[in-house]
Amino acid sequence: MAVTSLSEGLVDELRGICGHDYVFTGRSARFNRARVPAPFPVHRWDEFVPDAVVLPRAAEQVSEVVKLANRHRVPIVPRAGGTGLTDGAVPLNGGILVDVKLMNEIKDIDLVDRTVTVGPGINMLKLNEELRRHGVIYPDNPASYPCSLVGGRIGTSGWSLIGGRYGHTRDLVISFQIVLPTGEIIEVGDGGGRKVRKSSTGFQLKHLFMGHQGTLGIVTEATLELVPRPEAEFSAFFAYPDYDTAWRSTGALAKSGIATLAGVVLFDERKLAYLRRDDEAYIPQPPEVRSVVATAMYGNADEVRVGAKRLMRIGVETGGNYLGDEISHGDWAARHDRYATPLHGRLRSGQVVPMSWHCEDAAIPYSALPKVREEWHAIADSLMERFEMFDDWGMFAYTNGPYKPWGDYLTEIDIGIWEMQWDDESWAAWVQAKKDISAVALRYGGSITACHGASREGEVDLVPDELGGGWEVMKKVKKALDPHNVMNPGKYLLDEAYEEGES
Amino acid sequence: MIGFRLAAQRPPDAQRVTDTVVMRFDHVYEVDPALMTEHTPQQDLPAWDTHRIVDSRWEHLAWMHDHFADSVLSGEELLAEIEAEKKEGEP
Ligand SMILES: Cc1cc2nc3c(=O)[nH]c(=O)nc-3n(C[C@H](O)[C@H](O)[C@H](O)COP(=O)(O)OP(=O)(O)OC[C@H]3O[C@@H](n4cnc5c(N)ncnc54)[C@H](O)[C@@H]3O)c2cc1C
Repeated sequence: MAVTSLSEGLVDELRGICGHDYVFTGRSARFNRARVPAPFPVHRWDEFVPDAVVLPRAAEQVSEVVKLANRHRVPIVPRAGGTGLTDGAVPLNGGILVDVKLMNEIKDIDLVDRTVTVGPGINMLKLNEELRRHGVIYPDNPASYPCSLVGGRIGTSGWSLIGGRYGHTRDLVISFQIVLPTGEIIEVGDGGGRKVRKSSTGFQLKHLFMGHQGTLGIVTEATLELVPRPEAEFSAFFAYPDYDTAWRSTGALAKSGIATLAGVVLFDERKLAYLRRDDEAYIPQPPEVRSVVATAMYGNADEVRVGAKRLMRIGVETGGNYLGDEISHGDWAARHDRYATPLHGRLRSGQVVPMSWHCEDAAIPYSALPKVREEWHAIADSLMERFEMFDDWGMFAYTNGPYKPWGDYLTEIDIGIWEMQWDDESWAAWVQAKKDISAVALRYGGSITACHGASREGEVDLVPDELGGGWEVMKKVKKALDPHNVMNPGKYLLDEAYEEGES
Repeated sequence: MIGFRLAAQRPPDAQRVTDTVVMRFDHVYEVDPALMTEHTPQQDLPAWDTHRIVDSRWEHLAWMHDHFADSVLSGEELLAEIEAEKKEGEP
């Protein structure tokens, strides 16, 4: 059944470009591509539905679809895995949703120059299953590893759980092909060479075309870094009697200089209380355990071994109590599915209720973590006092720097939300709380977001404050590259670039 | 057809672990069913099904280790080495 406000002629043109079987206008294809797992106003679902979905298989098809959108002034929204947490792939004005999932081929594995070239629809887990045969991996490892795709990783400029060792998405994507908002296909990287990691030629366009949430074009191919498949993995979890000791220990571990260290994570007391609800590693912990620090390392077996021994010494000498191999190994291996349990939600009565997961993901300097923690929990508490549908699931801070895991931390507060209870009042309170949380991050010298992006209601209002003069440049770039504002319009307040008076 | 074998494989009675958690099999924790009466309807699980879920969880974790690296080092062994070295260094 075709239910779309696009004209039949335009839909026919889409079919002519992508093929009849690759254009969808039925309800389920469109409604299923409206939301992402971030809190979503389910009571207003209808407002976010695209008019048509296309699944192109080649860059030329994407280019033709974009040119068509320009001719008809119809919005285009790129979508990869649809796991983004800042609504980047949520259509705000209907239009054509370009789902890149079928562009998932591995085009070239180059074991000499150490790169792999792929389509944007491939998932990292699947890619690594193939790369394993060649003794290499692509180490972009978000918690959404089994479900996010390379196109979305570039669209968000993502953050990796083992980025302290291997770098994050922007460090691991060497170059890519992108269809600009006007339909031209170009290659961007560090300079011109597709397999060059560092160049000083011209502007550094690679960074410009990453993390824009699909507002500056659609990536159609990417050349990625290959690293040797690690011989050894090491993970160690330590328990502490209080947050402050754990925080100091985190600092000591993170700045240890151990080259194989991939990340250090600090869980606070409320995160532990949450995990004690139904996580087998934390339920048996005695009440004196109030904070936990997790660490992980990868690399050649001899190097990891030496580094791990040093790390164990630092952990114990700074007050940590090693939680044992079973918990350390099991919990680290569970790093991708920690959030997938909707039954963690509790009402004040203690009754279990299915809740969705929300997280804030600011980047915060190490020195400010204790203060930010207090202020964020206070914001969550006042929200919980007013509405039973919110549940504070605690905080963690995770080393954020690529290769040098010290200095600032991806700082997350996780909040459970009983989405079936949304109404306009609770939604407005929620948006205000998000704004307050972002304001705290900025006040302490941080950034609103370390990995997801900041284009959702609430946080997005503070983006001009965070970027200052850079915000004006952002608007100019957007308008220059996308004169008709067809590429994911409404995101990042960029519609302002087209308002009267903006030059 | 395989019949439903709950009667043959009825799980043992639950023992309380914490205010909110119970246990029927060693180290297999369950949220207290009393907390899941209003919004999350319960069903009876035969013992074999619980074991199946727990086993596949362990399988999944082992798969994930193997997916990322050839081997996993033991912190317990390293701690023992550190302790032994300390003792050797003592007068
Ligand atoms: C359980 C869970 C855990 C998560 N953990 C992490 C984590 O550890 N680290 C992290 O960084 N993120 C994490 N995320 C967030 C999310 O997975 C990432 O933002 C991811 O990069 C999104 O990828 P995706 O393929 O799902 O993209 P989508 O959600 O489909 O898209 C994300 C953005 O990119 C744009 N886009 C999509 N494809 C293209 C393309 N081909 N060209 C240009 N733009 C495009 C979209 O328009 C959108 O704005 C997590 C999410 C979940 C649900």
